[in-house]
Amino acid sequence: MSKALLNIFLNENSLLHQLFVTRNVNKLVRNYATRKRFYKNTGILRSEGKFEVTLDQRKLKTPKGNLFVVENEPLALAVATEWDAQKGNIIQSRMHLTTLCNTVIDNPNNLTKYDMVNYITNYLDTDTVLFQDVESDLSNLQEAEWDPVITWFNKRFDVNVVKSKQMDIPPVSQKDKTTLSKHLLSHNFATVCGFVYGVDTLKSVILTLACIERFLTPEKAVLLSRLEEEYQTGHWGRVEWAHDLNQQDLQSRLAAVVLFTYFNSQSSKLQSKATQ
Amino acid sequence: MASKVNTLRHIISELRYALPSSSLKNNLSLQYILSQYRKHKTTSEQLCKAREEMEFMANTYLCYLKSLRLQQEIHDEFHGKGERTVRETANLVGFKLPHDPK
Repeated sequence: MSKALLNIFLNENSLLHQLFVTRNVNKLVRNYATRKRFYKNTGILRSEGKFEVTLDQRKLKTPKGNLFVVENEPLALAVATEWDAQKGNIIQSRMHLTTLCNTVIDNPNNLTKYDMVNYITNYLDTDTVLFQDVESDLSNLQEAEWDPVITWFNKRFDVNVVKSKQMDIPPVSQKDKTTLSKHLLSHNFATVCGFVYGVDTLKSVILTLACIERFLTPEKAVLLSRLEEEYQTGHWGRVEWAHDLNQQDLQSRLAAVVLFTYFNSQSSKLQSKATQ
Repeated sequence: MASKVNTLRHIISELRYALPSSSLKNNLSLQYILSQYRKHKTTSEQLCKAREEMEFMANTYLCYLKSLRLQQEIHDEFHGKGERTVRETANLVGFKLPHDPK
């Protein structure tokens, strides 16, 4: 039996052969436009109160060709570290801090702060945590995990957002949207860019702001965003290359957002006591 | 206090994973992180209002480094490396090639 199968397999015209064996088998790995690491060391430069990143002697530039400049030192250091962490190929899709800075410098979609704030407030209508299951184990879990965050959000931003168990949720009132807009507009352009990236990552305005305001850790916020998925994997099993990969990806993105918004809106919180 | 030092240790170990093998001693980021740790140490001379804030940020940076590493590891383990050779495929189903010794 196995000999017959082997003969079929080795017969060049057979389907089985065609399926498994193709000419130049090992050259079929797809090559995307990758760049090899071309620098040895990375560092930062201070110029006119701003910070630039250097790769050996060269200055880092954005995809549009602008000079890469950021306002503060820790952010520049984190970006330099990110570039230093590239082994072999430079994989830009996994350099979230660099991506965020590039977006702010280049602004490829020509968005204004108002556009982005508008996007965020409209996103609130379809926020993940506002849509909950009807009477099940999952809905108990959602109530236990999501409701405290909604309560916190309402209190913190002085709004009145309500959750729904059917799909008949009334959109968030205009008054609440104005209140939230006012809060968001008080941040600078870069920070609002970070908010948008966070909202797109978590599919939730409430969770993003809760994480940025340090009510939730990034790990917890991602867990809450993937709550239903977690519940289902608890039942059906977990696949490492899908669920774990997704979780780590979201965590790294959100952590980048938290760091980025923090660096872009911080002021020194350290006070020395007056010495006599 | 112990948990903060622990976070610092974890960050250093993640940086070791992430960065090329040269010495970490001259790494600017590490120097910056250490200086921040020293600066925000509460002493009788200074009042630090942002202790929890710094702790949160340290943990967030740790989460960032760790998640990127784990993501890379999962990717490396499962991402396809092109098609298998005839020998690999044969081994997979327990066959030997005709010219191999029995």
